Amino acid sequence: MEGTIFDIKEFSIHDGPGMRVTVFMKGCPLRCAWCHNPEGLKPQPQLLYKKNLCSSCGNCLIPCAHSECRPWKRCIHACANGCLAVSGRRVTEKELAKEIFQYREFFELAEGGVTISGGEPLLQADFVCALAKRLGGMHKVIQTSGYADTEIYRRVTDRFDLVMQDIKLADPEMHREYTGVDNELILRNIEYLKRSGKRFVFRVPLIPEITDTPENLMRISEIAGDFPVELLKYNPLAGAKYDMAGMRFSLGEIRNRRDRFEGYFQNAVLVE
Amino acid sequence: MNRVLLDYLISGKHHEFRKEFGEINDISEEYRRLGLSPKERMTRRFELLTSLETPVFLPEERICFLRTVKNVPDCFTGEEWEQIRKEHFIHEKGYLSNLSPNYEKALRGGLLSLREEADEYGKRMIDAVFALSDRYRQAAEECGKKEIARALAHIPRLGARSFFEALQFFRILHFSLWLEGNYHVTVGRFDQYMYPWLKADMEKGIHTEETALELLEDFFISFNKDSDLYVGVQQGDNGQSMVLGGSDNGEGTQFNLLSALCLRASRELMLIDPKINLRVNRDTPIEVFELGSELTRAGLGFPQYSNDDVVIDGLLKLGYEPEDAGNYVVAACWEFIIPHNGADVANIGALSFPGIIDKCLHEDLGRSETFEEFMEAVWKNIALECDRICDNIKDIWFVPSPFMNVLMDGGIYEGGKYNNFGLHGTGIATAVDSLAAIRKYVYEEKRITGEELVRAVDTDYEGNPTLLALLRNEAPKLGNNEASTNELLERLLGMFADALEGRVNCRGGKYRAGTGTAMYYLWHAGELGASPDGRRKGEPFGANFSPSLLTRINSPFSVIRSFSGPDLTRTINGGPLTLEFAASMFRGEEDVKKIAALVKAYITMGGHQLQLNAVNTEKMKEAQLHPEKYRQLVVRIWGWSAYFVELDRDFQDHVILRQQYEL
Repeated sequence: MEGTIFDIKEFSIHDGPGMRVTVFMKGCPLRCAWCHNPEGLKPQPQLLYKKNLCSSCGNCLIPCAHSECRPWKRCIHACANGCLAVSGRRVTEKELAKEIFQYREFFELAEGGVTISGGEPLLQADFVCALAKRLGGMHKVIQTSGYADTEIYRRVTDRFDLVMQDIKLADPEMHREYTGVDNELILRNIEYLKRSGKRFVFRVPLIPEITDTPENLMRISEIAGDFPVELLKYNPLAGAKYDMAGMRFSLGEIRNRRDRFEGYFQNAVLVE
Repeated sequence: MNRVLLDYLISGKHHEFRKEFGEINDISEEYRRLGLSPKERMTRRFELLTSLETPVFLPEERICFLRTVKNVPDCFTGEEWEQIRKEHFIHEKGYLSNLSPNYEKALRGGLLSLREEADEYGKRMIDAVFALSDRYRQAAEECGKKEIARALAHIPRLGARSFFEALQFFRILHFSLWLEGNYHVTVGRFDQYMYPWLKADMEKGIHTEETALELLEDFFISFNKDSDLYVGVQQGDNGQSMVLGGSDNGEGTQFNLLSALCLRASRELMLIDPKINLRVNRDTPIEVFELGSELTRAGLGFPQYSNDDVVIDGLLKLGYEPEDAGNYVVAACWEFIIPHNGADVANIGALSFPGIIDKCLHEDLGRSETFEEFMEAVWKNIALECDRICDNIKDIWFVPSPFMNVLMDGGIYEGGKYNNFGLHGTGIATAVDSLAAIRKYVYEEKRITGEELVRAVDTDYEGNPTLLALLRNEAPKLGNNEASTNELLERLLGMFADALEGRVNCRGGKYRAGTGTAMYYLWHAGELGASPDGRRKGEPFGANFSPSLLTRINSPFSVIRSFSGPDLTRTINGGPLTLEFAASMFRGEEDVKKIAALVKAYITMGGHQLQLNAVNTEKMKEAQLHPEKYRQLVVRIWGWSAYFVELDRDFQDHVILRQQYEL
């Protein structure tokens, strides 16, 4: 079975316990305004173009015979400055598991493992399940928006040791405005997760003036109860990759607000 | 922390006490006229310089001795040096360097007892030390510095009775060794030989951990008082290396309270000296790595780790006795040396791996039918280059240092118990990547011909951007944990070791192959045009044992797997894998623990030496524009840390270009 990934990150240290490898699944049904992985949104492979490295030599426009270059109308092998790269690799669960297994020694040394992130992993549910099955007893974490049918959500998360579940905005209207989708499905899955007995942690991105408002945080706190919450500070470099993906970053320059964010919750830590 | 003294030092106010004595600048002329022997010259100069020193006490300072004489004139005239260089191989500046003297012996027994065994020059040297310390004692009495005055009534003549006296005594010895003209004088296994005094004081109730730390910090500051006068390739390259921890016989760990206090002192002071090295092995508890990582997080580029499992084994293979091998320390940067009795010259030369590949590319590629034939040529040329380097080293001679002679077991005039010479190996990744590209594209896939490749390299890839793109972006690169490049790394290191094995140097010692580069990562790269891995003319190599500078490789796990794979016991002259982490990665305690686990992984997997950097590129770029605002920004260079703004631009740029791992 094949899936599409857009990155594998070694030694990711903020994606679960111990030393980990994180796999980024390509494609996401949400369009969060603050997303810092714009190349993970489209399910299909896409061309990234690093304009700031381009010397306008025109070499990539010279017709080539490579079949893999046909969709892009450019030769992706031609740039000596490394401006061009295709984001999105088709890979079988068997190949991917083999790549991850190479690092098993590191996981064993520090009680780490693999984290499946995205994009949205639930969008490739069958692939993710097949991969998880192949990985056997390795410690597995999934990071998800929770936007999927509950049957899918349940089937996938069942295969993981820890679920890192986003809660972005409690208000349905605002959720639609800033992520492009309704939060009903997500909230339903969260209710399931709370009852499931699974290990999980909620993750709340602190986007200045959008998600970090007292009102939103208090409502999320009600949902989270005394379950563990990680509060993620907004990364001012979130917009860095939009240009190369040919997209526009809508938030512009915003600064983190100062507040005692943990104070809104029963059981939260602030991740710097 | 003694903020007053630290601020005073950082602001450079102590430089006001420095005096230049123009009238002594041509003592070498006089020495020549009088026909004085080298030992006599060294002794007279030391007597002169110590007599010109003025006792000075800095505000709230407890450990004294400050260099006030700015100039140290040479003992020989220019013409004399010319003649000496005709007759001898002269290493660097000709004075002794990279030695780890036996401080412990002096601290225990006092200089009076060493004086008895010393030759006439050594005796005069010691007397000159006494004269200066007596003047310090008088001055201390006059200004009511009772603690110092009391100590100097006892040390350095007699052995130290307390932790304080031992530290002050060390300072006098270290000060004197530098003043004698030796350089890169290392500190050795400080926590091992100094701990008994601390322990005794704590048992007597003289010190708590906190008061000991305070005193230790005062002592650490002393390494930074004169260091701007110490010679090196760049400011900061002064070899004041301190080694902590270790497991001499492969069992347990000798990490003690003083080791932990040293890590803390370094982290609190944020000064580039002393340079901290941590000896570890596969059984070292994770807590030790965590303490080390706390220091890494501070951003000094310390500690540098070395793996006892690999290093001791490697030294045993080279013929070092078990007790000496177990006691190893590092020289100025990372070269492994034996304290007290080793006279190894661990940085006597360097082999440029990319230089070898370049020669073979031009002379042998055209006539090599297979890649293996080409590798045969690589082997021959490595052996030839080692012949050339080694044949050049004949009749080595060092200016004799009578005081250093006293502090080295068995003396140092004619060498020591070990007289091995070490060679660095530069640009290993550039060479591996070049070979991997040649194998894949010329021999296996036949995508390019040998002539095409030579032409492209000779024209710096002008007019062949497609080939350049292929080689830079798509060719296999060392550090990605691929079998093809890992295997070439192992082979090149093996060839280097084989080429040196069995050779006897002019002092009867051996040659040691190493994975360090020192400054050759810029120098050797400068001598070369483009290379077959797509590296263009003017682009440097990676520093030490590292991936190529401008390649983008997967990440730390792959790099660690690639670089811990080969049998490193055969290339044990030293030279660490270097990993740079974005400072932003170290957000909290949990992150520090994960970094510690990564270091432990490298050690467990058989890596020999590792240095880690927490760097901030934006800050470095800002510092290039506004150096005055970033006086205290520290970076790791090749085996030592420096203040960024004091470096030459080439060295600054290299640090900025190194790949950083982010979250």
